[in-house]
Amino acid sequence: MRIMEAENIIEMLHITKEFPGIIANDDITLQLRRGEIHALLGENGAGKSTLMSVLFGLYQPEAGEIRKNGEVVRIKNPNDATALGIGMVHQHFKLVDVFTVLENIILGAETTKLGFLQKKEARKKVEALSEKYGLKVDLDAKVEDITVGMQQRVEILKMLYRDNEILIFDEPTAVLTPQEIDELMATMKEFAKEGKSILFISHKLNEIMAVADRVTVLRKGKYIGTVDTKDTDKQSLSNMMVGRPVQLQVEKEPAKPGEAVLEVEHLCVPSKSHKRDAVHDVSFTARAGEILCIAGIDGNGQSELVYGLTGLEKCSEGKVTLCGHDISHASIHHRGGDMSHIPEDRHKHGLVLDFTLEQNMVLQRFREPRFQNMGFIKQGEVRKYAETLIEQYDVRSGQGPVTIARSMSGGNQQKAIIAREIDREKPLIVAVQPTRGLDVGAIEYIHKQLVAERDKGKAVLLVSLELDEVMSLSDRILVMYEGEIVGELDPKTTTVQELGLYMAGAKRMGKDGEGA
Amino acid sequence: MKQGRSNLLEKDSTKSVLASLISILIGMVVGGVIIVIVGLGNPNLGIKGALDGIRLVFFGLFSTGRVDNALTFGFNSTNMGDMLFRATPLILTGLSVAVAFKTGLFNIGAPGQYLMGTAATLMLALGIPSEVVPTPVIWVIAFLGGMLAGALWGCIPGLVKAFLNINEVLACIMTNWIAANLVTWMFEGSNFRNLVENTKSGYIYKTTYNGVQTAKLGLDKIFPGSQVNAGIIVAIVMAVLVYILMNKTTLGYQLKACGANRHAARYAGIADKRNIVLSMAIAGSLSGAAASLYYLSGNTEFFWSTYQSLPAIGFNGIPVALLAASNPIAVVFTGCFMSMLDIVGMQLTNLTAYNEYITDVIIAVIVYLSAFSLVIKMLLNGRKKHKIQAVPEAKAAAAAPPPDNGGTAEGKGGDGV
Ligand SMILES: Nc1ncnc2c1ncn2[C@@H]1O[C@H](COP(=O)(O)OP(=O)(O)OP(=O)(O)O)[C@@H](O)[C@H]1O
Ligand SMILES: [Mg+2]
Repeated sequence: MRIMEAENIIEMLHITKEFPGIIANDDITLQLRRGEIHALLGENGAGKSTLMSVLFGLYQPEAGEIRKNGEVVRIKNPNDATALGIGMVHQHFKLVDVFTVLENIILGAETTKLGFLQKKEARKKVEALSEKYGLKVDLDAKVEDITVGMQQRVEILKMLYRDNEILIFDEPTAVLTPQEIDELMATMKEFAKEGKSILFISHKLNEIMAVADRVTVLRKGKYIGTVDTKDTDKQSLSNMMVGRPVQLQVEKEPAKPGEAVLEVEHLCVPSKSHKRDAVHDVSFTARAGEILCIAGIDGNGQSELVYGLTGLEKCSEGKVTLCGHDISHASIHHRGGDMSHIPEDRHKHGLVLDFTLEQNMVLQRFREPRFQNMGFIKQGEVRKYAETLIEQYDVRSGQGPVTIARSMSGGNQQKAIIAREIDREKPLIVAVQPTRGLDVGAIEYIHKQLVAERDKGKAVLLVSLELDEVMSLSDRILVMYEGEIVGELDPKTTTVQELGLYMAGAKRMGKDGEGA
Repeated sequence: MKQGRSNLLEKDSTKSVLASLISILIGMVVGGVIIVIVGLGNPNLGIKGALDGIRLVFFGLFSTGRVDNALTFGFNSTNMGDMLFRATPLILTGLSVAVAFKTGLFNIGAPGQYLMGTAATLMLALGIPSEVVPTPVIWVIAFLGGMLAGALWGCIPGLVKAFLNINEVLACIMTNWIAANLVTWMFEGSNFRNLVENTKSGYIYKTTYNGVQTAKLGLDKIFPGSQVNAGIIVAIVMAVLVYILMNKTTLGYQLKACGANRHAARYAGIADKRNIVLSMAIAGSLSGAAASLYYLSGNTEFFWSTYQSLPAIGFNGIPVALLAASNPIAVVFTGCFMSMLDIVGMQLTNLTAYNEYITDVIIAVIVYLSAFSLVIKMLLNGRKKHKIQAVPEAKAAAAAPPPDNGGTAEGKGGDGV
């Protein structure tokens, strides 16, 4: 164990931050010790990102003060934060897509000589850092061409390049694959060992238990308490943050599969980036009353398979039948008649961020007679409907139905999408990473909802990268590897290890074995 | 109490209005400074001339002339009426640009759509024999024809954007010049050219030649001595209709969804391509209507040899929309404001030794600042939040070119009043 100095490097004392209609931080105190990993835990919308944005100078608090090494400091903008050695990796990254990795890292902290960029020196420094911490990046690639995992390493290098000693990670693991998560955890521990201090936001209790020294819990903008991870466990942490006992395990009856809802035959979807098909010759059937899960490591064609099924991308070959109709070439609107879709990317597809919450709630349904009359939107009906969904799914925001979606917390944006899609009551629900970024309470609720939909006789096609979710929620598992389905497993009889072997491509069933 | 007031200050619309007012004020102050500098440097003007100039810049609308070498002010019905008359087409091109902004598009093609609208309107108004068809019917046909021509011309950049993914700004600029040449060519051989009054080469007949003219509806009684007609009422009605379309209908909802996030719209089964074309068509029809109302007034003539220049009214729709933060109702007011500056320019020329170009300078400053008004709004927001910004508008504003005074000054034609 490292030596625990009782000295606080950062103290945020009695911080209060209000937004229209909501107090996002209400008298919150957070003390970060030198060299510790301090986790911040709380439900969606509890105010974690807001608190960190205050520390990073993005928001000015209405009350409270920040101290560094015991001295009061004023952080008016991110430049002040950088000057104080504070760096932040945001929940949604802030990189310039068309710049190279190197340019992004040095942006804003360029070394110049007579007004000319000293790229060579910068490159040397970045290379040394990336070597030292094993943060592999391609310095000359454009950010738009690299994976999210690498983008995150770029964000981390950005902090290191600025010699930051206080590092803030806002939900860094939500977008990473399990392998990448392990690497990140190791890097964080390395940083702490060197005396850097880390603030770490995550909804995944496993991760917090694995790396954090202490945890501060927030609930609805209020400070609940700070505990040592060695004195607590997952269950009590989740009770502390939600304020009631949370069920971490999914409870469900065995499935009673009915007739086929979705039949996919020899489907091929071309790839955007290379010649090979992203989805190649995939066939399966999803039945009413079952949760069929597509498992696999990110980037093995799951996204493209969903695009092909939902119509976001054209299929090059094969046939898709939904509720007895051939929809292989149908429009998205037409397919939407029998299918709801919780998309992978909530900002790109799921929401119109500049619309209000209520406008987003009727994104597909605004044409229904219930919400319009002769082309005029029934404003009152839309409002009422949005209010019921908000109430039912506990979507938290500052101003309810009229909140601009962009200002909502990440998890609540996700809840809004799920509410909208489940409530459309379609025979097939395609759910891609539905619980990404949700707190344990919300995950429990969403899982219950999906099981309830299944029991109502809907077919649920779940795409998930998380093994826990796959194992606990699904009734049947298909594993995708390099665009093909390489195995069909029964979660009751298989093990996580076996699933892992299929996902890694080390094991596969014969073609005939499928769908049997 | 306090809560209520701070909420009002918090509101986005309040900030927009504030930002626009600030840019207008700065523009007029800068204009005043220029007037003083020019005045002091010119022996004909001197300090008194400069003071007169400044008074006119701010209150030119209410100027009633000169008595005993001193400016007099009061209600001036001619100025008022002319302001409304000149505001009519500006409101409509402003609406045209605003609709496009709201749907994430930058309609810099308004001049071209305006020209096509002009051509269609004039050909119909002059070409349909008034012995056979009653003139009010011709008026309606010519008006609708102008809108349709503008709509079709607006479709082109829309189609190019939707299906070939080529930026609408490029396509708009090209269609503008195609329109300028096409219109010249169409009129060159036509018998709509005014050959009767041979002092006027290059002009098309006024529509009154065929007895077609916008009704006055008594407005000439309220504002005697001015050119005002019912066109302004049509423009205001159209602004209200656009407001309703954008805010109350499913069509407006779809158009805005496509503009704000094309991917999400597509995900939701909204036909994104169709909507892009549609919003350009609506924008085009509004620019076409601007031309129709302007030339159907009966006291305006069209200079047809326009292949070297584009009508300024089209470009001026951009600042009108920007100052109004793309709100259709606000466009009515900013349109009137821009036309008021025109009147101020005329007052300056008539009553002082300044020429009207000084108002062009003021307009230019305001136009630059109207793009800046988004920055001002950001600053107003700055204390609170950083992220929530109307990104497409800001982008468009940054891309907005100056109001192309090249199109207005020399080589102009369009506006032979
Ligand atoms: N810029 C903003 N404008 C208005 N309200 C905001 C803004 N940012 C956050 N909020 C509100 O403040 C509350 C706290 O949001 P915050 O993003 O801090 O939550 P969070 O704890 O990070 O949640 P999540 O786990 O979902 O990311 C939310 O209710 C959100 O709607
Ligand atoms: Mg957050």
